[in-house]
Amino acid sequence: MTTVKDALWRWLLTAGALLSVGLLLFLVVFMVNQSLPALRAIGLEKLLLGTEWRPVIYDEAPQYGLFPMLLSTVYVSALAVLFSLVLGVGCALFLACAVGDRLRAFLIPSIDLLAGIPSVVYGFVGLYVVVRTMERMGRAAGESILAGSIVLAVMILPYMISTCLHTMVQLRHGWQDASDALGVSRWYMAAELVLPASKKGILVGTALAAGRAMGETMAVMMVMGNAVLRPTLLGKGETISALIALEMGTAEVGSLHFSALYAAGLCLLVLLLMINLAFSLLRRKLDREGVL
Amino acid sequence: MKYRTKCPCSFLALSLVLAMVLSLCTACGRRADDDFRAQIHFCGSTSLASVIASIGASFQETYGTWDKVDSRFPARPIDIAVTSGGSGDGPSSVADGTADFGMLARDIKDRERASLGEGYHDYPVAYDALTISVNRANPVVGKLDQLSTDTIRRIFSGQLTYWDELDASLEHKEIVLVIRDLSGGAAEVFEQHVMQGTPISANAIQSPSMGALAAKIAENPYAIGYAGYGVYQMNQADLFAFSVDGAAPTEENILNGSYPIQRPVHFVTNRPLSDAEQAFVDYIFSEHGRTIVRENGYIPAY
Repeated sequence: MTTVKDALWRWLLTAGALLSVGLLLFLVVFMVNQSLPALRAIGLEKLLLGTEWRPVIYDEAPQYGLFPMLLSTVYVSALAVLFSLVLGVGCALFLACAVGDRLRAFLIPSIDLLAGIPSVVYGFVGLYVVVRTMERMGRAAGESILAGSIVLAVMILPYMISTCLHTMVQLRHGWQDASDALGVSRWYMAAELVLPASKKGILVGTALAAGRAMGETMAVMMVMGNAVLRPTLLGKGETISALIALEMGTAEVGSLHFSALYAAGLCLLVLLLMINLAFSLLRRKLDREGVL
Repeated sequence: MKYRTKCPCSFLALSLVLAMVLSLCTACGRRADDDFRAQIHFCGSTSLASVIASIGASFQETYGTWDKVDSRFPARPIDIAVTSGGSGDGPSSVADGTADFGMLARDIKDRERASLGEGYHDYPVAYDALTISVNRANPVVGKLDQLSTDTIRRIFSGQLTYWDELDASLEHKEIVLVIRDLSGGAAEVFEQHVMQGTPISANAIQSPSMGALAAKIAENPYAIGYAGYGVYQMNQADLFAFSVDGAAPTEENILNGSYPIQRPVHFVTNRPLSDAEQAFVDYIFSEHGRTIVRENGYIPAY
C-alpha cells in the first residue's frame, strides 16, 4: 500500500515539476515565434539600437527602435535597487540587531504587507505625492525617471528587507552570546560582525529586487511620462513593460507592430535572464574566494 | 453479486451513448429545418466594439433567447459576438464573410466601399470628438478662448515650448503636452485632423487611458492635451476646452460638422438584414441603445 502511495506521489510531483518547466519553455518558444516576423523585417541590430519608435505613421515607414526603452528600463531599475539597497539593508540591520523579539514579530508582518499592496495604488500615491512634489519644486512636469525609481524603490523594499533580515537574524543569534561574553557593544556587533557576514543575503535580496523592478509595469507607467527619450534623471522615460502595456491593446493583431511588441517582451526576458545569470556567477565567484 | 453491479453500469453507458447519438441527430435535424442563425458577429474598430458589446450584453440580459424578442424566432440563446481588431478589419471581414457587420471609427475609404458591392449599407451610430483641453487654473483661460488648427499643431509638435510664446502676456512656463499612446484611435484622429504628418514632440507624456489624460490636465496647471469629448464632459469643473477654428466643442457643432477634430463611429454591411439582425439593429437605435452610447462617452448620431 505504501509503495503504491509513494509511487503515486512521486509521479504527481514529477508531473508538477515537468509542467512548470514545460510552461517556461512554452512561454519562451511562443514569444520567439511571435517576435520572429519583427526580427526578420526590422533586424535585431536595428531593433536593439534604433532610437526611434514610431509604430504608426501615415506617410513614412514606421520605426521600431527599442534602445531608449532598454536604457530607461535599466536606468530606473538600477536607481531603484540602489535606493532600496541603502534603505533596506539599514532597515534590516536595525530590525535584526536593535529591536527586541516581540517588536520585531510585529514589524516584520507590517513590512511584508507592503508587498501585498496592488501596484496601481503605488502608482496613484506616486502620482499625487512624488510627481506633485516635483512639480511644486519647480519642474513643469513631475513625471521622470527619478519619480519612477523612488516609487519602485518603495515597492521592492519589502523583498530586500525580508531576504536580508532572514540572514541577519540568524547571524545575530549566532554571535550574540559570544559578543555578550566579551562585552562587545551591540552596534559594534552589528557593524563589524553581522553586516559583513550577511553579504550573501544582501546579494540574493538585490537580485530578487532587481528582477522585480524590471518587470513592474503599472506604477512605473503612471509616474514616468512614457516619452520615448534617451533617459536623464529628471527627464521622462518609458520602460519596456510600459511600452507593451500601452500599445498591446491597440496594435492590430498579426501586424508588424504587434510582433515588434512581442520582440520587446523577449528583449526584457533576455535582459532579466542575463541579470540573474550575472548575479549567480558573482555569487559563485564570491563563494569560491571564500568571501561569503 | 458481481454480475448484478455490472449490469446497471453497462446499461448506464449504453443509455448515455444512445442519448448522445440522439441529441446529435436532433441537432442535425434542426439545422436542416430552418436557417436561423442565433449568432450575430460584429468585427472591427476597438472604440465601437466596447459600445456594441455593452449594447449586446444588455440585449442578451433583457431577452435571453430569440423567441422572447419575437415569437416567430426559435427559442435559441442570443449570441452577439464582438471582435475588435481596428477599423481596417471591419470592412474586410464583412467582404470575406467572416463577420455580419464591420465596425469603423473613421470614414470608410472608397476602396473599402467598393469591396462591399451593391448591398452596401452604412449605419451611423455616434460621433467622437477630441477637445483641446487645459486646466481651468491656467492663466490662458480668459485670455484666449480659441486656437487655430495650425497653432495646435505648433504646440503639439514642440515648436511652441513655453506658454509666453503662445501669448506674450502669459508666464514663461513650459507647456506640458499630454497625449494617448501613438497607435490608438484618438492619436489617429488627432493625426488626421491636426498633425497631418508633423511628428508629435517626443517630450509629450503618454497616458495609458483617457481618464489618466484628463486627470493629468486637472492636476497640472500648465498641461494641455486632447481629452475625448466624454471624459471632458465628466471633468468640466477642472478642464477648459478651446474652440478650434472658431467652433466650440459642443454637441451641436460636432453633429453639424463645424467642429473639426472628430470622427464618425459606424458599422457597415454588404447585404440586406435578416429578421434577427434587424431586431438587434433596432435595439441599438432605440432609446436604450442611445443611453448606452452616451454612457460610453460618444455623441449619438440619431
